[in-house]
Amino acid sequence: MASGRDVRDMLGLPMGVDAQKSAVQKRAKAAAPVRRIQGVAREVAALYGERPPPVAVYEEKKAYRAKRQNQGPAKKWVQQPFVNQARVDGLILKHWRRKPTIAPPVQDGEDAPMEEGDNVEPYIENSGDFLKYSIQVDLPTFTDEEYDAYLRSDDWSREETDYLFEVVKDYSYRWAVIWDRYDYQPANKSHLTQETVNGDASQALATLPFAPPKQRTVEDLKARFYHISAKLMKLRIPEMQMDAEQYTLYETLSKFNPELEGNRKLLAAALMNRSMDEVKEEEFLLAELQRINMAANRLDAEREELRARLEHPSANQQVSAGLASFTSSQALQALFSQLFAQDRSKKRASGGATGPSRISLNTNDLIQTPSSANAQLSAAARRQSMATNQSAQTPVRTLSPQQEYRYNVSTHDRLTSGVTFGSDKLLKMRQAKSNVQTQKIAAALAELGVSEVISLPTIKVAEVFEQLIGKVGKLLDVRKVREKEEGESRVLEQMKQRRSSEVQNGDASMSNGTSVEPQAKHEVPDSQEQTPGLDGEGEADDDDNDNDGDGDAHGDGDGEVDADAEGEEDDEDAEGEEDSRVPSETLSRAASTAHKRSASVLSQGSIQSSKRARK
Amino acid sequence: MNTLNSSTAPAAGEYAGDEVSAIVLDPGYSTIRAGFAGEDVPKSVCPSFYGQIEDSSQYLFGENAIHTPASNLQIKNYWGSDGIVEDWDTAAKVWEYAITSRLTGARAGDPARNGLNDDPKQENGEATDVDMETIENQEKPLEESPLLMTEPGWNPTKAREKAIEIAMEEWGTPAFYLQKTGVLAAFASGKASGIIIDVGASHTSVTPVLDGMVLKKGVQKSPLAGNFVSNQIRLGFKQSQPEIPLTPHYLVKSKTPVDAGSPAQAIYKTFSVPPTDSFRHYQEERVLTEYKESVVEIWPGPGRLSNGTNEEIAKSMPGRPFEMPDGWNQVFGVDRFRAAEGLFDASAALTDDANPRPKDEHTLPRLVQAAVQHVDADQRPLLLQNIVVTGGSTLLYKFGDRLNYEINAIYPSTRNKLIAPGPVVERKYAAWIGGSILASLGSFHQLWISRKEYEEHGANIVEKRCR
Repeated sequence: MASGRDVRDMLGLPMGVDAQKSAVQKRAKAAAPVRRIQGVAREVAALYGERPPPVAVYEEKKAYRAKRQNQGPAKKWVQQPFVNQARVDGLILKHWRRKPTIAPPVQDGEDAPMEEGDNVEPYIENSGDFLKYSIQVDLPTFTDEEYDAYLRSDDWSREETDYLFEVVKDYSYRWAVIWDRYDYQPANKSHLTQETVNGDASQALATLPFAPPKQRTVEDLKARFYHISAKLMKLRIPEMQMDAEQYTLYETLSKFNPELEGNRKLLAAALMNRSMDEVKEEEFLLAELQRINMAANRLDAEREELRARLEHPSANQQVSAGLASFTSSQALQALFSQLFAQDRSKKRASGGATGPSRISLNTNDLIQTPSSANAQLSAAARRQSMATNQSAQTPVRTLSPQQEYRYNVSTHDRLTSGVTFGSDKLLKMRQAKSNVQTQKIAAALAELGVSEVISLPTIKVAEVFEQLIGKVGKLLDVRKVREKEEGESRVLEQMKQRRSSEVQNGDASMSNGTSVEPQAKHEVPDSQEQTPGLDGEGEADDDDNDNDGDGDAHGDGDGEVDADAEGEEDDEDAEGEEDSRVPSETLSRAASTAHKRSASVLSQGSIQSSKRARK
Repeated sequence: MNTLNSSTAPAAGEYAGDEVSAIVLDPGYSTIRAGFAGEDVPKSVCPSFYGQIEDSSQYLFGENAIHTPASNLQIKNYWGSDGIVEDWDTAAKVWEYAITSRLTGARAGDPARNGLNDDPKQENGEATDVDMETIENQEKPLEESPLLMTEPGWNPTKAREKAIEIAMEEWGTPAFYLQKTGVLAAFASGKASGIIIDVGASHTSVTPVLDGMVLKKGVQKSPLAGNFVSNQIRLGFKQSQPEIPLTPHYLVKSKTPVDAGSPAQAIYKTFSVPPTDSFRHYQEERVLTEYKESVVEIWPGPGRLSNGTNEEIAKSMPGRPFEMPDGWNQVFGVDRFRAAEGLFDASAALTDDANPRPKDEHTLPRLVQAAVQHVDADQRPLLLQNIVVTGGSTLLYKFGDRLNYEINAIYPSTRNKLIAPGPVVERKYAAWIGGSILASLGSFHQLWISRKEYEEHGANIVEKRCR
C-alpha cells in the first residue's frame, strides 16, 4: 500500500523532518476518529496526507436537524381542583395542570375504578398565585368617641358619614365613581328622630326626617372625607412629629377647598364645551404665539452674537480710555440694553418696522468704525453715569457751594432722559392719584393763595412747592379721618336712639343678636356668591375711603387710624381663610358689627354693587 | 418583554391567565352568544327568537328549527321593549339551549361505566346506574363550569337577582358573575375606561366606563338601533313609487331574472295552512338584514344628509343594486342613505302613523353628549379619548365616519378617538370577547360569587358583588 510516505519518497521530497512529522501524524491519527470522514475509503483518505481535501466534504450527521428527543410517553394533564387563597369561602374550581409525576402506583385494571371511587377527596391545590391582586384600600377609622369629640358636622349625620366611608372603601377612592354611585337614603326615620332627641340642636337640623336627601357634589364628598382624614391624622400623629411626606399629605388634606375645586371643574367643563370657532381662534392664537416666540428666539440669538463680539473689543488705546467702564460683560450688557432701548424708542417714533435689522446695523457700526463707536459709547456713558464715570475723560473743576448755588449747578443721581419744563414738574406735583384728591389739593392751594401758574419755576421753587404739597396732603388726611370719626359717632348715636325706642327687649345684646340674625340667615344659603362680599368687610372700608377721595391712604401710612388698620387686618384674615367658613365669618362679623357698622351701614348697597362689578 | 402578536403565545406570568373552563353567556336581542372563556369567538351563537307551536307548549330553538315554515309556528322573543328580559321562563330555556347545544353535552362518563366497554352479559346490571347519572347531568347542565353572564347597563335589581337564581338553582353552576356589556366591550378593546357606544338590534346604548366600572348616571339608551333601521327600510319600501315588494325566501319556489324595476316573475310556494304573520315578519327581517348589509349606507358627513347640497352629492354617487328573493331588483341611489339617517338626525327619519318621529334626545350624538354630561368634568377628556364602538348595527357602511364627525362637532376641543375594531366578529361580539378575557383571568377568581355565598346571602348578593 502506498502511503504518503511512499509518495514522498517517490517524488524525492525531503524526508529530513520525517521523524517529527511521523510523531505529529501519529498524534493526528490518534485524534483522527473525530475528523474521520465517512463514506471515503480509508486508503483514499490516507492519500490526502496532511492537506485538506480540495472539495469540502460535509458530514451527513450534522446537515440535518437533530431528532426530537423522545422523553417517553405523552405527558398527562388533569383538571386539577384548587382553592384560591384570596377567597374566604373555599370555592373549588378546576384548571388544567400537568399530572404530577409522582403518580399513585398504577393498579391493575380491576382495582383502579374501585380505588378512584373511594378517593372522593383528591388532592386540592392551594393556589396563591393571584393573591397579590387582592388589594384592600386602607381607610382612616374612628371610634364613636372620636366622632363625637372632633368630627361632628352640621351638614353630615353620623349615618351618612359612615355610608360615605363605606362607599369610598368599595370604590377605592375613585371619586368619579363614588359620586356616581353615591345614593344615601336616610335609613329608618324612627331611629333618626330618636337621635335628634338625644343629639344637640344643630345635629337635629341636619337629620330632621323631613329634610330632603341632599344632592352632594364630588367636592362635598371629598371635603367631608378629607376633613375627617386630616383631623384623624392630626389626632394620631401630632403635627410636630409628622415626617415630610406625612405633613405634605396632611397639608393637602386640610387645605382642600371645595369651592375652588368646583370652580375649576366649571372652568374645565367650559373649556371642553367651547364652540368650533373658539377652538379655531385658540389654535390661531397659539400659532401666532409660537411665531412670536420664534421671532423672539431669533432676536435673542442675534443679541447673543452681538454680546459675543463685544466681549473682545479692539485694542485701541484711545477707545480703551472711554471703554474703561465696559470691560466687564455686565456693563456691556447694560450698555447694550440701553442702546437697544434707544433704538426701539427711535423706531417707535418713526414707526419703522426695521427692528432687528437696525440693531445689526448698529453693531456693525460699533465694530467697524471704532471712532464713531467711541463717540456713541462715550455719549452713552455720560448719560448713564455722569457723576461717576466722567472723571476719567474730562478734567473736573470743583465748584464751591456758593458758586454752585450761583451758577445753579446741581448734581443728580439719575437723570431722566429728554428735556422737561420746570412748570411741568410743578404741575405734576399738583396731581394726586385720585381725581378727588387732586381737586382737594387744588382747593387748598387756592385757599393759600398760590396761583395756578407759577411764573418762575426754578428748581428751588420746585423744592419749596414740593414741601408745601406734602404738608397739604397730610392735612387732608387728618381731615378725612376726622370726618370718618364724626360719621361713626353719628351712626352710633342713631343706633342708641333706635335701641332706646325698642326698650321692650331691654337687653342690648339680645337686640343686637336679633338684628344680625336675619341677615346671616339670608346669606348662608347661597354661600358661593355672597361670601366674597362678606369677607370683604375691610375692603369695604377702603371703598369708603375711595369715595371720600383718598386713594393712597395705605401708602401714606402716617395718617392711618385704628379703624382703617383693623379693617385691613380683617380683610387679610378673611382672604387667608377658606371661603367655606361662612357661619364663623358671619359670627365674627356680628361681633364686630358695633365697630364696623358705620361703614357697612352707610354704604351697604354700594359695597355690594361695587364688589360685584369688581368680580 | 417582547410585544405580543397573534402567533406567539404569551409566556406564563406575562398575563394572569388561569382558565377554569368558565362559560360566558352574552344574551342579546338578536342573538345569544355563549362559549368557553379564553376562546376568541363564541362557539355557540343562537338566535334569541324562538318558535312556539300555537296553543301548545312546544318550543323550537335554534336556527334550523325556526326558519322552517310550519303551520301555527309563532316566532317570539323573550326580550321586553325596554331592553330587559320579559319572559324569564323562556329566556332560561333559550339560554340553556345556547349553552347545551354546542358547549356542554352529555358528559363523557368513566369509560368503565359508560356502557360502551361493558360485556354484553353484564349489561343489565349496570344500565340503571348509567341512566341515573345522565338524568342528573341533564338536570344541572352547568355543574362543571362557572358562568359569567352579561347584562345591559340599565338592568334593574330584580332582573339581576333572577339571573343568578336561574344560574344557581336551575343550572347548578358552582360560581356566577354578572357584568355589564359596556365594561366587557371596553375590555375587549383593551380599555378600562371609555365611552362604549353599542348599537344593537333593539337598543342603542352609550355607557361611560371608568376603571372597569360603569358610571350609572351616564348610561343612556334609545330604541334607535338595528330594528329601527329595518322599520325605516320597510317604510321606505312602502312609500316609494311604485311600492317595493318585500318577499321572504321561503315563499319563492323558483325565479327568473327580470330587468331592474320590473315586476318579479317567480313561482311561489303554496301552503295549505299559511305560516303565521310573526313567522313572515321574522323572515322578512332576514331579507332586510341582507339589505342593510349590502345596500344601506350612512352619509359620512360633513353635515347631515339634509344640509345644503349634501343630498345632491349623495344623488350623484353611484347606486347599489339589490335583488329580492323573488328576482325583483333595483339600483338604490339616495334612498339607501335615508334608511339610517334617523340614527343621527331625528328630523330625517321617515314617519307614518305607526312610526312617529323619533325623539331628538334619542339620536346618537345627543346620547353621547348626555352621557358625557353626566360624568365628572375631570374624566370627560379621558373618556372621549376612548370611544369604543360595538354592536352589529355599527357595521353599517360609513357608520364610523359619521359618528366621528358628529362627536367632533360636539366636542371640538378634546382629542376624540373612536376605537372600532375592524373584524366583524370583534365588532359584533365585543361584549362576549371581553367576558371571555375577564373570566379566563386568574385574578378574576376572587370575584366569582360562589354557590356557598349565594346560599348564605340569597340572590341579593349580586347587588353587592357585581357592581
